[in-house]
Amino acid sequence: MSDILRPVLTFVALLVVWEAAVRGLAIRPFYLPAASVVLADLWSAPSLYFHAVVRTLTETLVGFVAGVLFGLACGTLFAHARFMERMLFPYFVVSQTIPVIAFGALIIMWFGNGLLSKAIIAFYLTFFPVTVNTQRGLSGVDEQRIALLRSFGAGSLKMFVKLRFPHALPSIMVALRLGISLSLVGAIVGEWFGDVTGLGVMLVHAMFNEHIARLWGVILICGLLGGALYSAVTAIERRYVFWRAEV
Amino acid sequence: MARGSLTRIGDSWPPVVGALLIIALWQGSVVLFKLPPYVLPGLGSILERMVVERTILLQGLAMTGAEALAGFAIGVAWGLGLAIAITMLPRMERPIMPLIVGINSVPVVAYAPLMLIWFGIGPASKIAMASIAVGFVILLNSLQGLKATDPAAIGLLRSFGAGSVRILTKLRLPMAMPAIVNGLRVGIVRSVLVVIVSEMLGAYRGLGWTIYESTQQTDFLRVWAAVFAASAGSLLLYGVLVAIDRKVVWWR
Repeated sequence: MSDILRPVLTFVALLVVWEAAVRGLAIRPFYLPAASVVLADLWSAPSLYFHAVVRTLTETLVGFVAGVLFGLACGTLFAHARFMERMLFPYFVVSQTIPVIAFGALIIMWFGNGLLSKAIIAFYLTFFPVTVNTQRGLSGVDEQRIALLRSFGAGSLKMFVKLRFPHALPSIMVALRLGISLSLVGAIVGEWFGDVTGLGVMLVHAMFNEHIARLWGVILICGLLGGALYSAVTAIERRYVFWRAEV
Repeated sequence: MARGSLTRIGDSWPPVVGALLIIALWQGSVVLFKLPPYVLPGLGSILERMVVERTILLQGLAMTGAEALAGFAIGVAWGLGLAIAITMLPRMERPIMPLIVGINSVPVVAYAPLMLIWFGIGPASKIAMASIAVGFVILLNSLQGLKATDPAAIGLLRSFGAGSVRILTKLRLPMAMPAIVNGLRVGIVRSVLVVIVSEMLGAYRGLGWTIYESTQQTDFLRVWAAVFAASAGSLLLYGVLVAIDRKVVWWR
């Protein structure tokens, strides 16, 4: 219960501090409107916000889930096919040091301004880190443990289920946390190229109209969405992956 | 020695084969299936376009790179400064951390339109965006590193009469260095990314702007050329950072 109550109370406290700071310090609405003004804007157009959230959330989740599944498969393949790993894995690592989100522009040009193109952007942003961390987690298993299990007559599949995969999970979860944040970023940025609904679209429209209260409203919603998605991944991690990398 | 370098050559050929394989697959499918440029352009035509457009790409690279570096420097300064302040004044942590976590749970790109309105579509808004993105990475990494210092070592230094400033400079900061450097590496990549993404919303020049503009004109080759240039620039910055890190932080 306190797992839910604590963040809610913190959020309410932040809103109170926000309201008090704007009134107390007389901050200009051009920079930061009072929390009550921003909440009033949310209240004034609930269906607009709601549809935007549904759209962006769908793009994020579809891409994320597909990226996780494909990344797990690729990482497992790399961990078992050594030669393929040595040929291609370095490029997966390099991909994490370049702004791959820029390739999103090409995805939009190929697949148009629909839901699909954003899901694909979220997909590949998730797929790269999950592949890298799955491979690393699966390959980092202590050789002695493998030898021990093998001496008990465990085959490759049993070895994977009982030893390698559990060992890799903490490292995979790190990639999932990164992936969910990147997926949301990818979906929002992908919507800047001329879509019609979504949180990214609302951001662009509010910017062109210099509608500061709306802009902060979307930022607030983006923060809640980002926080909720991240917490969901960490909650799964705490619930199912209670062991650590050493075990 | 000779053996060592031989093994290294032996280790480095599979990635080369991998690269050749990717290039062959790419080029092969372009030629074999006669793919039009809007599906997949040949590598040759992308490189050719990069040469033709070298002036605008180099200008864009310089602009994007300068904005990313400036934002990176400001972000490192405030991130590290705040982390040190919180470590020195632990009572600040309880009230300030929820605020930091709250601001940081917003995907950083959502602040971009706001920065464009506040600071205009020139470089200032991109530098602001990069400094926000980098600052939080550095802050969270440094805090983790600064707090992980062995309490026994702190007690020992204190027993020799060291004040909290001395403990910070002689013990906490050196111990936190690996975590901070890790933050720097993540930070430089995020800095370039955030600048490019912000430029896509509006800019006078820069690679992100070139990418956005070319997308709207459906000039596929130009998008490819700009994306390649952005990747090369990001790799270069990252490489320089890693090289500096190897020279400066020799302890681990």
